[in-house]
Amino acid sequence: YNFTDCDFEKIRKKYQEVIYQALNKYMNGVKSTEFNNYIYCEDPPDCLAKIDLITFYPTHGCTTLAKEIFAVRTNATLTLQCPGYSGTQINNTQAKKKRKKRQVTTNKCLEQVSHLMELWRRFSRIS
Amino acid sequence: ASGDAGQEPVLQVRIINFNFETVQVTWSPRRYSGTNLTFVYKLSSAEASRPCCNYIVHEGHTAGCLLEARKDEILCFSLGNGTDILFRKCEWISAYLKPSSPEQLSFRWHEDAVTVTCSDLPYKRLLYEIQYKSIFDTEWQSKEGETCNVTMQGLDSEKCYFFRARVKTLESSYGSDTYPSDWSKVTHQQRGELRDSCQGKKLFPKFIL
Amino acid sequence: GESGYAQNGDFDDAELDDYPFSCYSQLEVDGSQHLLSCTFDDPDVNSTNLEFEICGALLDVKCLTFNKMQEMYFIRTKKFLLIGDSEICAKLKGKKITCRKMNVVKIVKPEAPFDIRVIYREGANDFLVTFNTSHLQKKYVKELLHEVAYRQEKHENDWMHVNLSSTKLALLQRKLQPDAMYEIKIRSIPNHDYFEGFWSEWSPSFHFRTPEITGRMDP
Repeated sequence: YNFTDCDFEKIRKKYQEVIYQALNKYMNGVKSTEFNNYIYCEDPPDCLAKIDLITFYPTHGCTTLAKEIFAVRTNATLTLQCPGYSGTQINNTQAKKKRKKRQVTTNKCLEQVSHLMELWRRFSRIS
Repeated sequence: ASGDAGQEPVLQVRIINFNFETVQVTWSPRRYSGTNLTFVYKLSSAEASRPCCNYIVHEGHTAGCLLEARKDEILCFSLGNGTDILFRKCEWISAYLKPSSPEQLSFRWHEDAVTVTCSDLPYKRLLYEIQYKSIFDTEWQSKEGETCNVTMQGLDSEKCYFFRARVKTLESSYGSDTYPSDWSKVTHQQRGELRDSCQGKKLFPKFIL
Repeated sequence: GESGYAQNGDFDDAELDDYPFSCYSQLEVDGSQHLLSCTFDDPDVNSTNLEFEICGALLDVKCLTFNKMQEMYFIRTKKFLLIGDSEICAKLKGKKITCRKMNVVKIVKPEAPFDIRVIYREGANDFLVTFNTSHLQKKYVKELLHEVAYRQEKHENDWMHVNLSSTKLALLQRKLQPDAMYEIKIRSIPNHDYFEGFWSEWSPSFHFRTPEITGRMDP
């Protein structure tokens, strides 16, 4: 999906008002600068593409982000503000069960979410 | 900033991005004091790495590097003692931004309100904080705006007021490791005019009604 | 936007219009728990078999059913997505009879301010009014506009109003009558372009008396 036609201003507003709080809550005090690698995005569409990738596509060591509150809000935001974005169909009951079963947030997931925070921050600075 | 997550850093490194003009990286070696460490860096917009060309020297040894960095980009750098790389880090330089102080505050009074304006910095997601108090107030009162155009109501234009301003970053856009700008110099205003200072009797509140 | 529309055809239009309702939300009213309250606009509606349900823009679930206390229907939950519209419906015996599209972040009614204090500052010739609001500690609805209303008690409807965004205000002595009893109260409304909504209830009133005219006015 090409994020060029999204309404960046409305996405930024939703990020600042409700997604950021959920990301912060997930990190639970762990600072994103504590992870020694970084992630770059050039412009708003590039940032959103990388946010979409990390949020909704499982990686080795971290497969559960898509069900987190920040991800559900990201999904709702992109579905609302990006024409033609189909969004991830999260099975609600499965989401609740999965979130209950997740005991410990893996360090790999914390690293992934710290990347997400860097991408969202960059996105909000340039849009 | 510190080394790999979780491990005790060999070096205490501090980064300050002065208004996207100059970035200052300073280090204080815990185990390598007395060693001249070399600083090599690469900005994401640059083709290749380069050694520091503007060291900060302290007691005869390198203690920091000043480098030009004018864009919102990523700085990767390493510190070594000539044979080993002791520290390696990559960061968005915006994460350590210290905006410059507001200058030339201007005031527009209208009845019991005043609008303070100054020129906005060229980058976004900042908070312009104006603080004010009269000679009868014990503490500063704050008002913030996303641009340097902030209106404060409920003032008494008869009284003499102190004003000062600074710039802060939005945590959701820059993270929590930035620095507020220094405060602007204090300005005095009374009856809609600039004053050199605010002199006058100061009485403390007598009683709660 | 807000639009009311019937959901199914078992009722003719006249009946559908008999059940208009209004709702407001209070976010983080109890820790991170939110509150959504709805009532029928017509207090005389016989609400015995009537229920309310909200669907859409929810976390983990598709719909939630309201609880009922006298004529007020309410939900306490953490499951508001806070993004996008929900559909709130009045239901009679399980059938939707009136539905409205609402966005929980656009119908916010703040909690009333509290702890009003007035300090007379003789040297400053003013009355320093301070008050508190629970919204300073919230994550979402942090920015409010406060309306301070004050009047001389013997002048029933002669309210003066000041709007401000901080929680401290100086009332100038020269704008008040000497040796007079005053009443002051405060309410708040969201002051933001994402969270919008309605005025809160008024705070409890505070009463204070202005001193008689004594010494000369300080410059």
